Amino acid sequence: MRVYIKVFASLRNKYPEVNDLNPMEMHLDKGISLAELISLLDFKQEEVQIALVNGLKKSLDFKLVEEEAIISLFPPIGGG
Amino acid sequence: MENGYMNKWLKINLSTKEISDFNFPEEILRKFIGGKGIATHFLWNYALKLEKKGINIKDMDALSPENVLVFATGPITGTRSPNSGRHHVMALKSPLTGSIGSGNSGGKWGAKLKFAGYDGIVVAGKANLPTYLTIVNGNAELHDAQEIWGMNSLDTSNWLKEKHELKRAGISCIGPAGENLVPMAVIMNEVHRAVGRTGLGAVMGSKYFKAILVEGDAKPKIAKQADFDDKVKEHVEKLKENGVTGEGLPTYGTAVLVNIINQNGLLPTKNWQTGVNENAELISGETLTDKYLINKHPCWGCVVACGRKSKVEEGPYKLAYTEGPEYESIWALGGSTNINDMGAVVRANHYCDLYGIDPISVGSSIAAAMELNEKGFIPKEDLQGMEVDFGNADAVVELTWMAAFRQGLGYWIGEGSKKMCQHYGAPDLSMEVKGLEMPAYDPRGAKGIGLNYATANRGGCHVTGYTIAAEILGDVDRFTTEGKAELTKIFQDFTSIVNSSVNCLFLTFALGLDEYAEMIGPVTGWDVDTDELLKTGERITNLERMIINKLGFSGKDDTLPKRLLEEKMPEGPSEGQTVDLETMKQEYYELRGWHDGVPSLEKLEELGLTR
Repeated sequence: MRVYIKVFASLRNKYPEVNDLNPMEMHLDKGISLAELISLLDFKQEEVQIALVNGLKKSLDFKLVEEEAIISLFPPIGGG
Repeated sequence: MENGYMNKWLKINLSTKEISDFNFPEEILRKFIGGKGIATHFLWNYALKLEKKGINIKDMDALSPENVLVFATGPITGTRSPNSGRHHVMALKSPLTGSIGSGNSGGKWGAKLKFAGYDGIVVAGKANLPTYLTIVNGNAELHDAQEIWGMNSLDTSNWLKEKHELKRAGISCIGPAGENLVPMAVIMNEVHRAVGRTGLGAVMGSKYFKAILVEGDAKPKIAKQADFDDKVKEHVEKLKENGVTGEGLPTYGTAVLVNIINQNGLLPTKNWQTGVNENAELISGETLTDKYLINKHPCWGCVVACGRKSKVEEGPYKLAYTEGPEYESIWALGGSTNINDMGAVVRANHYCDLYGIDPISVGSSIAAAMELNEKGFIPKEDLQGMEVDFGNADAVVELTWMAAFRQGLGYWIGEGSKKMCQHYGAPDLSMEVKGLEMPAYDPRGAKGIGLNYATANRGGCHVTGYTIAAEILGDVDRFTTEGKAELTKIFQDFTSIVNSSVNCLFLTFALGLDEYAEMIGPVTGWDVDTDELLKTGERITNLERMIINKLGFSGKDDTLPKRLLEEKMPEGPSEGQTVDLETMKQEYYELRGWHDGVPSLEKLEELGLTR
């Protein structure tokens, strides 16, 4: 299953080249959870505050099954 | 008195040059706290006085001498409690909207006003020649401002500091936009901080009132110092440990929101024709940090430091030093206009600071002009050869200063999108509520913020009730309308407390009502709890509502642009969504105890707002 990963803000310290215009392509087993993906990416679970799958917020036990999904990961952020 | 206040207010009548001191009784302070609350209380009584004189405030010109400005701090301002350098400014009427004028600013001016010996200033009447005010160690004086009339905010600030030999003074002033009575003009302080919304700079300009310099050595005295010191320490620790206030905001500034709002599909683009911006990355907080950031610049007493010092190293918008831009400015000037050129955004935002104009309103109005032009509504002769098209960065930069100086098409942009779109025969293209251009979140992708835009007393505003914190940054379902009435009400009433305390709204990412009670209690000596505070917030929201009712606003005005109610979001994660406002609004009115946007007598009695 092919997916595209986008990381933002301080999560880019680990992946400085990955952004909205340059997502990271990954091939994953169908059914992998967001929590497992976060570990696979070498992040601690608490580093990722918000995970979106195709722009919709999902909990970390959400299982990825959709081909070509876009996964956006954020640390705690805010503003206004 | 040891209660956090300086226990002294200044009143100036510019028509008669009279200057006098006054204060509010303690029972009134406890009912309205300070800042926005106490200013609203003052404006309500002022409105009643005008009515007694036979002046109908609904018909009153916002730029007439009868309008009044209130600069206000609160008991927390200028204390060691974190992020307390801010102040609030209000006017009975906004020249942009006809509703109440209201804005809050960072910087240091609020703290400095208290050090100068005052909690607030009321400015009434109109001077016959340009005038400015100095308050130094309790001594207030009016001065001739003819030499600085016409200067931008940087030159004004430098001139005043030099003239009075007070290099560290707080300077609040208007730029050319305020002098030119542009209805979206701001009041600037510390050159780069703004009382940004509802055109209060034009109210200053209409009074021939250029600036206020404040400086002094007084300090607010705390009622229960030891309790206060403990809480300050605790609160600072909470702010440092919190991911948003301890890391996200300090590292990337408010612009960190560009990407997350766009990833959710609610970053208004091409004048709200879509919520998806393909090149948002180019104007994101990450890009700002990588390529334009010089350093952080915290406000007075701030432990977060979201403020930015920035530069543009190369290209047509090259600039050695400026500050910002904030998320909202980036979105309005760069996202809604679809230019996605950070250098141009930084430059246009710099013009907003120098000339004193609201980047949200001006950027939104430029984007509206671009859609008007796209759809053929602007006659060729009005364009004067300019290509006012989505994606044209030069047009954004040029039209920003042109709005401040009322040049060419800039005249209509400066008048605001509502008047401009009416003028060109396409009122539905104006993306505002009550005449105030909405900020950077399309409510088709987060329904609560739509209810807040519709019901906020000053018009289309996010910081009246920032439900985005729950809907996008938190765990609340963003698409449902269920529960959004209650969410909006709580956010609005809590925010009234923040703006009356006065400190920074960003504290609320880490500190809740409990912590506000813990701050306000020891500072004032009052035994306040969270119930009293929420009730106080509700009282302030309701009194402000009573004023806008008098100004002619009611349920019919608590609405959203047709585009958001009827046009489905065309693409992206929020695709297919519209805002079912009516359902949320009726529930909200019920919770508020309002009938068609007007507080009921029962509610007013409950809040102690009847005479």
